[in-house]
Amino acid sequence: MTERPLLSVRNLEKHYPITEGVLSRRVGAARAVDGISFDIARGETLGLVGESGCGKSTAASSLIRLEEPTGGRVLFDDGRGEGLRDVTRFDEADLKAFRRNAQMIFQDPSSSLDPRMTVGSSVAESLMVHGMTDRTRRRKIVENLLEDVGLSADDYDRYPHEFSGGQKQRIGLARALVLNPDLIIADEPVSALDVSVRAEILSLVDRLQEEYGLSMLFISHDMSVVRDVCDRVAVMYLGKIVEIGETEEVFANPQHPYTEALLSAIPTPDPRQRRKGIELTGKVPSPVDPPDGCRFHTRCHRVIQPDEYDLEQSHWRSLLNFRDEVVAGAVDVGKVRESVEAGAADGDAEATPDAAVEREIRADFGLPERLSDAAAERRLGDAFDRLLSGNEDEAAETLAAAFVTPCEESVPEFVDHGDGHRSACFLTARDERALERPANAER
Amino acid sequence: MATEDSPRFDTVDWDEITSGGGREVTKSLVALGASLAGLAALLLYDYVVVPDRTATFAAVGWGYDVTKLDWLLALSLLFVAFYGALPLYRNERMTRYYWKEFKKNRPAVASLVFLAVVFVGGVFGPLVISSPESELLRQFQPPVFMEIPQNYVIECVGERAAGVCRGTWQHPLGTTPDGRDIFKMIVYGMQISMKVGLIATLMAVVIGASVGTVSAYAGGMVDEVLMRYVDIQQSFPTLVLYLLIIYTWGGGLFTMVLLFGLFSWEGTARYVRSNALSKSEEEYMKASRLSGAGTYHTIRRHLIPNTASSIITDATLLIPAFLLAEAQLSFLGLGDTSVASWGQLISVGRDHLSYAPWITLAPGLVLFLTILAFNFLGDALLDALNPEARAEAES
Ligand code: SF4
Repeated sequence: MTERPLLSVRNLEKHYPITEGVLSRRVGAARAVDGISFDIARGETLGLVGESGCGKSTAASSLIRLEEPTGGRVLFDDGRGEGLRDVTRFDEADLKAFRRNAQMIFQDPSSSLDPRMTVGSSVAESLMVHGMTDRTRRRKIVENLLEDVGLSADDYDRYPHEFSGGQKQRIGLARALVLNPDLIIADEPVSALDVSVRAEILSLVDRLQEEYGLSMLFISHDMSVVRDVCDRVAVMYLGKIVEIGETEEVFANPQHPYTEALLSAIPTPDPRQRRKGIELTGKVPSPVDPPDGCRFHTRCHRVIQPDEYDLEQSHWRSLLNFRDEVVAGAVDVGKVRESVEAGAADGDAEATPDAAVEREIRADFGLPERLSDAAAERRLGDAFDRLLSGNEDEAAETLAAAFVTPCEESVPEFVDHGDGHRSACFLTARDERALERPANAER
Repeated sequence: MATEDSPRFDTVDWDEITSGGGREVTKSLVALGASLAGLAALLLYDYVVVPDRTATFAAVGWGYDVTKLDWLLALSLLFVAFYGALPLYRNERMTRYYWKEFKKNRPAVASLVFLAVVFVGGVFGPLVISSPESELLRQFQPPVFMEIPQNYVIECVGERAAGVCRGTWQHPLGTTPDGRDIFKMIVYGMQISMKVGLIATLMAVVIGASVGTVSAYAGGMVDEVLMRYVDIQQSFPTLVLYLLIIYTWGGGLFTMVLLFGLFSWEGTARYVRSNALSKSEEEYMKASRLSGAGTYHTIRRHLIPNTASSIITDATLLIPAFLLAEAQLSFLGLGDTSVASWGQLISVGRDHLSYAPWITLAPGLVLFLTILAFNFLGDALLDALNPEARAEAES
């Protein structure tokens, strides 16, 4: 039993069709969850982290079948000796039985409790739905459970509006627990709560998990919370998992630049840990049209340079941002020109030299006056000439041809760093050489 | 194993329970079933056993013949009791909370008292007060503290003085041109109003809520068809249909109530549909589905209770609209002249306004107050039952 996981998610996909017109013609899909895989062992807590909109909540609701996944498998061992069975193929009856084994805690305790129902009935509802017709027995069980989560038995007859946020989340926990499930999915269980009660709820979750041997999928955008509760952590970006591993290992030794960026955002009280905040530049792509290759390449601060160039890393990043903006037609030369003119001496009506405009644009994008790499500078200068002479399309072509990162040309595979710590980034795939690259770039 | 007195969630043997199966039958469901069965039995008795022209309860010596509308009213009252009063009584805590909120609105409390009087008068009044009989000799008696020139009355019940006839407590609100007591007629009119308001509204609400819910949950083609039908019905001239029916089959209060109920649910349907759509996104609906509950259970236990407050508010606007419509039709002479509705009374007084204005004014005032009371009540209920709506309105 121990080597077999309780839950095993394989290439889970949830695409939302995007339709157009009266006939609902399908014109595309938002790939909210785009093939994620992970395992959860019995009694283990897996953290699923990422920015909002990365698909982590959709992943949760698809794997528990609140929404129907559009692809992949969710294998679950319901402990009946039949081993792992595919949840996505469950019929009504199987699904109802599955509900007893897998439950969920919602993010907002205020909206997850029916305002017109006593909290006791809300918790007892599951018991009733699953056929427990004995009213007094239901009540007894729920009263005991309410005490277990730190409330009192008298609270059974109260209504949600009579409780604080923290108390409501305790009730949410009780409801998730009442069917005695093996797996609980906690979707940002503390992010809607006051900072002061977060710790209490987290330690309650911890205690209950220990006591009843629960497995958990803990969804959060907050790395520091994840560090406290999770055994393992999976980092998600734009519908894909980019890194997964033991929490300690991932925190101490992040392999994916995105993980690194998330970790750097945690305020650390320890001054020796000089982890500078990494600011992610570039815009967050939409899941409707995710970037080619590594999905993070539009924002990655370590995005790889092709062998032909040897630029400072931040300049390379700026260069790519500039390229993307020009290609998207978002650089308005006319406007820059106007503002430069306005800034120039009042009486001077003469056309501003292009040089000033170029300088302005370079400054906007964080590009230096001259790139350190001669070949790169020549091509950039070329592009600027075209851009400033009004040839935006040609400028875009020049930039797109001149500056290409290997990260966008193919999709990085997962690389194993030992002990199930895996990440998908070309840097680690290129091993030693790649790891030294940031240092090289400093020269 | 769990000890008997302290069962815990982690010791429940679910295999044993789920194999037992079966639905829970609650006491109130049994009571409702029994009441409905009783009503059905009475109805059968009336139509099968009791001879055509004999009063329904002649066997127990009560000479009252139950009409079709009475049956419907009884049914409506049963539903109001089981789905309105009983839940309020059961969820005492919530009721007290609502009451606390409701109490803040003084006019609404006064309205509630007034409506309660109308309700009780409507249900029990006709049982204790003899029906207003026509006594031609006593026509045009003025209300107390009022007077009428002597030449209009045949026989003055009160004192006569200086060529006028004064009102008496015998006919506190005066009498009609055919000598019926107006106070009695108003009490009897309460029952008619109740029938019109309650039955038609209940019909509209039940149909509207069902159509709205089905539309929201079925979606697709079903939704489209139902909602287009609602559009059509909204622009459908119900008045013309009513006139048509009057001329072909002859009208009547029953027809009127039926038409009101059957052709005025479109607003409720739309409303419930949009409410169901937005509520189905709420996390507690997800939580309910996640507990393994089916769609029916989720709708019955969560969607309807959470939509109920809005439906009730909606109903408090429908009732006065129906009352007014009945009065208007009666005033135009299109109503049911065989019943003593307020509208009929108002129209009877129409020709005598100059010297006996009370015939029109008394029922008119009661009607006006009733409608006003429902409006106040609706406002207050919206606030008390729907804190979210109030917050939205204020922001
Ligand atoms: S593959 Fe390239 S873009 Fe993606 S994370 Fe690694 S370095 Fe950054």
